[in-house]
Amino acid sequence: MKRILLALFTITILTVNGFVQDYRFQSLSNRSATTSKASPIDLTLPVKNGSVRFAAIGDTGSGSRQQHEVAAMMLRYRQAFPFDFVLMLGDNLYGRERAQDYRNKFEDVYRPLLDSKVKFYATLGNHDQSNQRLYEHFNMDGKEYYRFKKGDVAFYALNSNYMDKTQLEWLEKELSKDNTKWKICFFHHPPYSSGKKHGSDDDLRKIVEPLFLKYRVNVVLAGHDHFYERIKPQNGIYYFVSGAGGKLRRGGVRPGSALTAKAFDRDLHFVLFEITGDELHFQAVTRLGQRVDSGALKLQQR
Amino acid sequence: MKHGSSNQAVVIVVSLVLAIFVILSPGAAFNQQRQISSEEKRTRDAFEKRVKEYVKLRQSVARKNLPKLSADSTPEQIEVYKLAFQERIREARPNAKPGELFTPDIAGLIRGLIKAEFKGRERQELRQTVLEADTQGVPLRVNYVYPETKELTQIPPTLLLELPPLPQELRYRFVGRHLLLVDRENNVIVDYMLNALP
Repeated sequence: MKRILLALFTITILTVNGFVQDYRFQSLSNRSATTSKASPIDLTLPVKNGSVRFAAIGDTGSGSRQQHEVAAMMLRYRQAFPFDFVLMLGDNLYGRERAQDYRNKFEDVYRPLLDSKVKFYATLGNHDQSNQRLYEHFNMDGKEYYRFKKGDVAFYALNSNYMDKTQLEWLEKELSKDNTKWKICFFHHPPYSSGKKHGSDDDLRKIVEPLFLKYRVNVVLAGHDHFYERIKPQNGIYYFVSGAGGKLRRGGVRPGSALTAKAFDRDLHFVLFEITGDELHFQAVTRLGQRVDSGALKLQQR
Repeated sequence: MKHGSSNQAVVIVVSLVLAIFVILSPGAAFNQQRQISSEEKRTRDAFEKRVKEYVKLRQSVARKNLPKLSADSTPEQIEVYKLAFQERIREARPNAKPGELFTPDIAGLIRGLIKAEFKGRERQELRQTVLEADTQGVPLRVNYVYPETKELTQIPPTLLLELPPLPQELRYRFVGRHLLLVDRENNVIVDYMLNALP
């Protein structure tokens, strides 16, 4: 009887401390890692010469094992799909931002990609301090919002956490003189989302979407809601939510949402993009290497 | 005479068309400006002056005491800079008190603005955005540091366009219903006002 009570007591203590859950998680992730090492890469992207190739990740900065696993899968996919840069959709560092946090939640996680000269372009989320704009590996040029160009694609990194008049004036000025074929805006808060917790940021949308329409922005990428969602085109613009690069809100998508073209909320993920001529190809991949969405979108004729 | 009146009619029609175009133009939303009274202007100008004084002080603190950070700084450089800046700016304002920037007149104006501009569903949404943020435990104390572990509440853009504009060194932040002025580089709470949200 004493032994039974002792065993029950031990199990209770271990459960309370999270040990049992950790152990179960470790077993699962070890198994996953083994599976993913063995499984072939399921790539649907064309990998054409001269195309613009990049990945997008959002809400990454947890330093968790899952974030590491997403990064490892990105590295695997890069062997077949050599992307040159990664867009970070905000919440790059959760919690404290000491020097060791930059290491634990970013550098250590993406070290192999950094060593392969993959550039990361970050945007700020509601958990990110402004000083991140000065960090060498975030390539923000000391600014909270900035533009850069790759081939036929102009990228606009915006600070949706503080969309003031100065930023809006800058955006309008830049967009108004931009003749680049493709224009992609990326930032943290999604103008459209089927998230149960956050959902569409109506207030932000009211202010930025008129500019996107007026100056023919093609694609908008955002994070904040911790899942993947491709939105049905809204006013001709392609919207994606990719907010589970380091944290997952399992079951976070509102079922039956009229906005959803495709959604996935059962595992962490990243998204690969390839732009060639008038086509944008995309593929969303889970931490374990499963394809959850893929397709090609045509350049809008507007 | 007849020629003159037809010219006038053309001018009126063109003006009307232009006005309609400007109103319907998709990019016009954030450029629309509300008429403000001379009293409101005085209050805003005085606030702007106090904000500028703070910025001048923090610039002089940074220039004299801190290394200049480049756009490709290491995490160590960023951390050292931030901690040193916190210390220096607190030393430079040892007797700072609540209400020095948010004086009663500007605080009243901000409360009134939010109340007038956000009604019904819009106010509900504003409250939802602001109150859902994890800001519990942020000290409502001048010269204290806004903790890094706490969320930086998104300020809804339509509200940000209504509030008196700030220079890039300062940010408005909501903590519950209260509005803070926070330095964006050292995270020190420069001032706060209570119950900004109705």
